[in-house]
Formats: sequence, structure tokens, C-alpha cells
Amino acid sequence: MTISFRTRLFVVSGLIVTAVLTAVMLVGWTRVLDFEAQRLEQRLCMEARRIATQPFQNQDRMRLAVDVANKLHLTSPDQLILQFDARSAGGNLQSINGRFEPAFDSAQWRAAKSVDSFNLIDSQKESPPARRDENLQPPPPDEPPRGEPPPQHPPPPPPQADRSYAPVPCTLATFDARGKQWRAARYETTTGRSVVAADLIATQADVQSALKQALEMVVPVALIFTALGAWLLSSLTMRPVNRLRDAMKDVTQKALNRRLTSRGEDREFKVLIDAYNTMLSRLEASFQQASRFSADAAHELKTPLTILQGRIEHALNKSQDPNLQSDLTQLLDEVGRLSVITRKLLLLSQADAGWLTIQRSQLDLSATLDELAADMHMLLSDQTLFCAIERNLTIQGDAVLLLQLFNNLISNAVRYCSQGGQIALSARMLPAGVEVMFSNPTPIIQLQDRARFFDRFYRGDASHNRRVEGNGLGLSLAREIARAHGGDLTLADSALDEVVLQLMLPSR
Amino acid sequence: MKVLLVEDEQKIADFVCAGLTTRGIDVTHCDDGSTGLAKALAGNFDVVVLDLMLPGRDGLSVLKEMRSLAISTPVILLTARNELGDRIEGLNLGADDYMSKPFFVEELVARMHAVVRRLSGDRQNTLQVGQLKLDRISRQASCNGQSIELTAREFNLLEYLMRSAGQTFTRSQILEHVWGYDFDPSTNVVDVCIKRIRGKMAVLQDPSDITSPIESVRGTGYRFKKP
Repeated sequence: MTISFRTRLFVVSGLIVTAVLTAVMLVGWTRVLDFEAQRLEQRLCMEARRIATQPFQNQDRMRLAVDVANKLHLTSPDQLILQFDARSAGGNLQSINGRFEPAFDSAQWRAAKSVDSFNLIDSQKESPPARRDENLQPPPPDEPPRGEPPPQHPPPPPPQADRSYAPVPCTLATFDARGKQWRAARYETTTGRSVVAADLIATQADVQSALKQALEMVVPVALIFTALGAWLLSSLTMRPVNRLRDAMKDVTQKALNRRLTSRGEDREFKVLIDAYNTMLSRLEASFQQASRFSADAAHELKTPLTILQGRIEHALNKSQDPNLQSDLTQLLDEVGRLSVITRKLLLLSQADAGWLTIQRSQLDLSATLDELAADMHMLLSDQTLFCAIERNLTIQGDAVLLLQLFNNLISNAVRYCSQGGQIALSARMLPAGVEVMFSNPTPIIQLQDRARFFDRFYRGDASHNRRVEGNGLGLSLAREIARAHGGDLTLADSALDEVVLQLMLPSR
Repeated sequence: MKVLLVEDEQKIADFVCAGLTTRGIDVTHCDDGSTGLAKALAGNFDVVVLDLMLPGRDGLSVLKEMRSLAISTPVILLTARNELGDRIEGLNLGADDYMSKPFFVEELVARMHAVVRRLSGDRQNTLQVGQLKLDRISRQASCNGQSIELTAREFNLLEYLMRSAGQTFTRSQILEHVWGYDFDPSTNVVDVCIKRIRGKMAVLQDPSDITSPIESVRGTGYRFKKP
């Protein structure tokens, strides 16, 4: 099975567009999520700083939690953990409010990579720029309130000189606690440190759902547009190909002297059309040469044939000698045979060159076939003839050429019919035109010989047909005449020991 | 009958002239179109036999000129090249018949008679040789006053032989006249047809004379017995 080029084009372009779209969406999604994660980190840091610089009292805790939850786009304060550890005089930290979360200390804190300098520095000069990829501070796991020396930077005054030595005030961590995944920011000041943790899933929930909604809308539309685009593309690609195909068909059906016009075509197709036209020119030249030779030869043969036949006829009329008369008659028969071949060759060469002119007139096909059936009946020895000719079959055709066609079919049927066989001749009107069928039993003809049936000078297996005369031009010419009338002559499927010829002629 | 033959090929003209003369036909020959046209305009011919390929003025233009000058002499065209196209044009231009080369002089004579008869009205409507009588209009044959049922082919064959009773016709001549030049020349259709006519006539003939009027000439063909 061959797939059509158009389908292949459609599928390939559809797949490519889909793949590109998928890649773009994947990259886009990742970027959006990344961006959202960075924003979350920034917000967490900001909130942690707010809590660290403006420590809250327990009674405000709920209000603060709601406020922070809103700012982080969380739906409920449960998705949030706030903690502030005040720094005692000895530097020890003591949780003064918020629920103590042990996971904070087991988490791996790292510098806020994405929350560097900008927001924190600009809005608050004491924040030192984060030193990237540094400060991975694995905290000692068994020291919840760690006694660390207080950071050198008090929140209000901005001693810019120590900036570079300052530990990063905002560090980030991701950890599991309370059965959820959390993202937390820790901010340290001289007075203490604050931690703000948010439910990671909850923070991503609205973005995820928004993206999902968008995808649900975009994907079907994108698929439809992809299909449309692929269809358009394949149609667009096929259009010049189809146009070329139609034009080539036209050339094949009509005459070789037709050329395709390349005007208005794209460059690639112009090149193709030019190549095709060049090929056609060469073909036409050699073709014309061959058929002109054949026509000239046929004409040049006719004059001597005419003289030969005329002189023999004249001599025959004058002669009184029976032996001489018999000889001359035989000569005359041979000249006649030569004339028939010459005439057929001329007609064939005219047909090949596309010059076979058809002079159409109304023909009573039923009457013609009746007369031919009577002739055929006279030609049969021990064979029988079966005729089924519909009445009032009329066609528009060239009387002389069609007579030649039928004569050829009749002599073919009579010549190759098995002894004692039955020849069948039928003619009927079909929607497509008039169908005339000739069938006769024959010695077995193999398929490879059947394929050569319409070859010129082909006469089947010569050893089987020694008794049979003929020149092997009849069927070839008959087919050309049928085709010149817009019909066709074909060898119908049949048993190997039978020949069925089907002639179709438009009735018009 | 007076015939003008316009044919440039001398050898063809020679045997046509000889053949026509032996059949008692008065032939005038010229070998180019202009002379042919002049003679056709001047002379009083019954038939003009015109070759299509002529030096100078070709056959078709001679025919066209003749018809435009209201010369209605019947014209038979002789064609060799591109015969189909020329035949069509020739018949459209007012030719009465055409013959493809090569042709039999015998056939040319038959065509000339047919053309002349067609144009001159109903002279010689019946043809009778011995007991056999043919009516060319109703295409009926009768023998001793009793009609014979003949097919179109049989009638044409009989008429062809009877028109020149006593003259021998070869199978190819008969085939060309009755079946046309495209019929397979290797068949024995002529012999079968003759046999059938003989059979049909034998039933009606005078029992005292059982020999058929159609005689076989060994190795040559057939002739209708001259009474």
C-alpha cells in the first residue's frame, strides 16, 4: 500500500508543529513556575524581614498570620508558619512567639540565591548582597536555640562598611513537616531571627490551576489550528503538483506538440516544467521523424503499387493464355496484400502522429453489424456464429474507419477461432456508450502472449498459426481507430482458451 | 463516354488510358492542374478523373475552381497521401466519388458508370443478361420472371459481373468492388458468395439448362456467361 504524499505531508507537518508547540509550552510552564518560585522566595524573605524588624506580640499573631497569608496568596493561615526567636543578652535565641517548629533547625538553609541584593538592599540598606553559592550552613541538628554571636548588623543603622563580611541575613530552605512540604525563609537581625514558612503546594496551587485552565483552553484550539495549518500546508504544496499532473495528462491525451506553461509558477516548479518541456520536445522530434518516415514511405510505396497493379490488370485483360492469366491473378493478389499493409501502416502512422482525422456522421451500427455478421457467416467453415445485436444502435463516427475496424475484428475472430467453435458477436447500448463484444474460442493463449495482443506485427505463436494468414496490424489499428473516436478496444478477461475483445464507442 | 484524366504520373496515366480505351471509353489526358482545369471548362466531358497531388495547381483547387464556375461535370478523385483528410475535403468541395491508390481500372470504370448513371437520371434502370434481370432502383433480381431473394452483397456482386458479361473478374477486383478495399484479401468470401448466388439461382433455372450463368475461370476468377 502506498501512502499519499499529501497525507504524509499532512502528518509530518502536523507532528512538527505539535512537537514545537509542546516544547514551547513546556519551557513556558517551567519558566513560569521558576518565576513564581523566585517571587515566593522574595516574598518570604520580605515577610521574614518584616517580622524580624517589627517583632510581633502573641496577641497580634493571628492578625499578622492572616495578613502574611494574604500577601503570599494563601487561602488559609494554616498554610503558614511564623516564628520569631528573640536574641537574649548572651546571644542565645529564645522562641518568644509562634509555634516552635523543630524542622526549622534540621532544614538545610542556604543563601537566598534569587533574592539577592536588589529588593533587600534597595529597600533596606543594611541588607548585604547575598554571596552566591556560599553560606550553605548546615545547622547543628541538636541545638534548637543556637548560641550564635549576634550578627554585626543592627537593623536600624546602616554601617555600610561591614557589608561584605556580613552573613547573609536571609536564608532559604525546603523541608517536610506536618505532612507537607514547606518553603521557608529565615531572617536574622541583632535582636533575633524570624522564620516564615509557607505550604509549597498551596503557594503553587493558584498558578497551577490558572495554567491548567489556560492549557485546557489552548490545547484543543492549538490542535485544531495545527490540523488546519497542516492541511493548508499540504494543500498548498500539492496544488502546483496537481496542476502539473493535470497539464501532463492533457498533453498525454492530446498531442505531443502541447507544452506546459511555466508562467506564474514557483522557481522549483518552473525548473521542473522546463525539464518536462525539453523532454517533450525531444520526444516529439523523434516521434515526428519516425511517423513522417512511415507516412512518406507509405506514400512512396503507393505510386509503384498503383502502377504495378494497373499494369498487371491490363495485362490480365489482354491475355488469352489461361496459365498466364492464373499467374497474373496470383501476382495481383500479392499486390493487393501489399496494398492493404501499406494502407494500414499509413493509418497507423497517422494515428501515432495524432493526425487521424475523424469525419463523423450518423451511423446505423445495427445495420452495419448485421451486414458484417452475414459476411462473417460466409467465412466460417465448421464454426458457428451467435449474434446478439440490439436494434437501433446509432453512433457518430467515421464510416470508412469504423468499417476498417470491424473488418479487422471479424478477420481476427474468423482467423483464430478453433475448429468447430462458436464465435459470438454482441452489441448493446450502455450508459457509457455502445459496447461491441467479439468472442471466439482459440487454442490456449498464455497471459504473457495476451499482453502482446495489440503489438504491431504480433501474430501469436507462429508455429500454431502457420495455416493462418495475416499481418498482425489489424488489432493495433483497430484500437487506434477506436481511441480516435474517443472509445477503446481492450482484451477482456476470459479463460485462456478464449479471446474476448471489447469495443467501447461513445454514442453521442 | 468522354473522360478527362488529370494525372501527373505518366506510368499511371498510361495504363488508365489503355484500360479505358479497350473498354471503349474516350479518354483525354493532361498532366497538370491548370491544363486540366482549362480542358474541363472547355470540353464536354461526362466524367473528370482528378489526381489530388499535381504539380502547380493541385486537384482540390481545380475541383474548387470548377465548382465555383458552375461546372457540374462529375468528378472522381484519385488519392494517395493523407487519404482520409483529402477524401473528406474533396467530398465537401463537391467531388462525386474518390478512389484510393492503388486502384483497379475495372473499379474506376464501374464508379464512372455509377456516377454518370446517378446524375443522368433513370437511364438503364434494369440490367438483363440472359434469363437474369436486375432492377437497380428497387434492387430486386428475377430469373425467368420469378424473383430471387438476394442480400446486398450478392446483388452488388451479380451486378458487377453482369455489367460486363463475358469479361473475367479476379477475386481481388470483386472483393474491392463489393466489400471495399479494407476487407481482408486472404479470405474466401468471394467464392462463398458466388456459391450462394449459384444455389439461389439453380432453384429457379430452366431444368433443361442447369449450368450456372456464373462461370469459374480456373486460377483467375469469375465471369458472367454471355448469352
